[in-house]
Amino acid sequence: MTLLSFLPAGFLDSGPVQRALVTGAVAAVISAIAGVLTLIRGQSFAGHALTDVSAAGGAAAVLFGAGPLAGFLAGALVGGFGMETVELRRRSERDLVAGIMLGLGLGVSALILGRIVSSGSNGGAPVTILFGSLFILPPGVILPVSICGAVAVVLAALFTRPLLLAALDPDLLTVQGGSPRLMRLVHLTMLALAVAVSSLTVGAILSTAFLIGPAATATRLSARPGRTMALAAILGLIAGWGGILMSYKSYDWTDGHAWPVSFCIVALIVAAHLLLPPVFGRLLKPRQKG
Amino acid sequence: MCLLSRDTFISGGLAPLAVFMMLVAPSAQAASPKTFSIVGVENEYANVAAQIGGRYVHVTAIESDPNTDPHSFEASPTIARDLARADLVIENGLGYDDWADKLLAATKSQDRKVIKVQTLLGLPDDTPNPHLWYKADTMLKVAMAVEKRLAEKMPAHQAVFEKNFAQFQAAMATWSGAISAFSKAHPNLPVAVTEPVADYLLQALGANIETPGALEMAAMNDTDPSPQDIAKENALFDGHKVKVFLYNQQVTDALTDNFLARAKKNGIPVVGVYETMPTPGFNYQSWMMAELAAIEAAVTKGQSTERLVAAK
Repeated sequence: MTLLSFLPAGFLDSGPVQRALVTGAVAAVISAIAGVLTLIRGQSFAGHALTDVSAAGGAAAVLFGAGPLAGFLAGALVGGFGMETVELRRRSERDLVAGIMLGLGLGVSALILGRIVSSGSNGGAPVTILFGSLFILPPGVILPVSICGAVAVVLAALFTRPLLLAALDPDLLTVQGGSPRLMRLVHLTMLALAVAVSSLTVGAILSTAFLIGPAATATRLSARPGRTMALAAILGLIAGWGGILMSYKSYDWTDGHAWPVSFCIVALIVAAHLLLPPVFGRLLKPRQKG
Repeated sequence: MCLLSRDTFISGGLAPLAVFMMLVAPSAQAASPKTFSIVGVENEYANVAAQIGGRYVHVTAIESDPNTDPHSFEASPTIARDLARADLVIENGLGYDDWADKLLAATKSQDRKVIKVQTLLGLPDDTPNPHLWYKADTMLKVAMAVEKRLAEKMPAHQAVFEKNFAQFQAAMATWSGAISAFSKAHPNLPVAVTEPVADYLLQALGANIETPGALEMAAMNDTDPSPQDIAKENALFDGHKVKVFLYNQQVTDALTDNFLARAKKNGIPVVGVYETMPTPGFNYQSWMMAELAAIEAAVTKGQSTERLVAAK
């Protein structure tokens, strides 16, 4: 326990904190894996659009009295596979499709959240859906979150090589007898899982930060994909857990009006991105020859 | 008594229609037959006005649905019309029903009088707790203001209004007596709450509200409470540090559900409190007496009253 003695009293005993730590960890790890693949594919914007469709799904789930996780996941899957079918026809207009999806997702979210707020008693739903309410997750959330994490990790482990190859050089994968299309679908599924769990953590809109932030920082620190993913996971974990601790501690700094966890996590992600590459970039990433 | 209460059915995206209704409303007003029309923005104010005005007034309540949170209410076109046509409007103030101010400002009327309960009680804008109807002296002042206005406008029926006011005053005296009797019998009663709905009543009862203030505010304003405050609230139940848990029936979420389950698990009696007067069967004074009786039953017999039901 001496190792953890720097933690505030009661931190690890608190049910809300325990659920936040588990959910934040799962979100960090699968977002890191999916995020690095997304960056290699150059699909950051599509990833962001996906989170907004996911928001509509989460809002719809809350409207119908279900937990938001299933809705986030369903929304992200529908959005992802929707973009995939359109993308096949007009690959050059990928950003355009993502932009339209983003607008549609947020528009539908506005409609559903408006209904929740005006007709029900859950006025906090918009903040919870869009910006996350990590400390008020219900006790039953751990199991579905863990399943989402396990599925994403198993997919990544099973298809590590073809997933990377499909992202880097789909033609080479085809020559080797693999299916780039199948790998795109696997990637989309992982992306949807990452977006769903991150949406619980920092909200649907901010889940982009979790997806892209640690992955982008890791990409600047390491050139090898496997190591980049591991680094991104560690960075995400530090930001996630650090953000939870920071939000918890801010209770004492602000006379009980603690800062939202989402803000703390994103602040740490951005700080890491600004500070780490200049300091450690040369250390970890071998300098280009020539 | 003529009390029409309308369910607060809200449809989003009707703002342009509301503006249109406000534009056409004045001409409609001129055509309508002249009964003195009172709108109580919250149904508890409408109820008191109806008791004073009796059959000489037509009273409408806007917020009366026990399943919605009045804090997040949005107005519909019919409500804009009712407010535009009203001769007397009673609103709570303190930001609780801001939308009504906006609609009233948009429909200027010479004849219409607006009683803002906040102003009536002389409360500054930064008063944190807007749930004024649980304050023991509020409704007597509201009733007095209503009686004064009605007597001005309908001097022929002044005697009736005065008699109705005297009756209401007697009912309020009974309630005040019950409050002081309770506070003597149960001094410094430790209680837990979700949000500050009934805090004025609890203060009048001399109770100690053990729930952290920041948690009450978070629950009321739909922001996220901190884990520390959640832990403190849970400890109140687990350690049996409170005698009763006052639970707001109209604003519930996963967190308040959790507190409710925790209170029940630890055998802490639960009493439901309300943003608007529970219907049917209650008037303001019977509601307040029932609320007090429920708290009394919780403290003396450990009995829960999650929802108030009017006696026959």
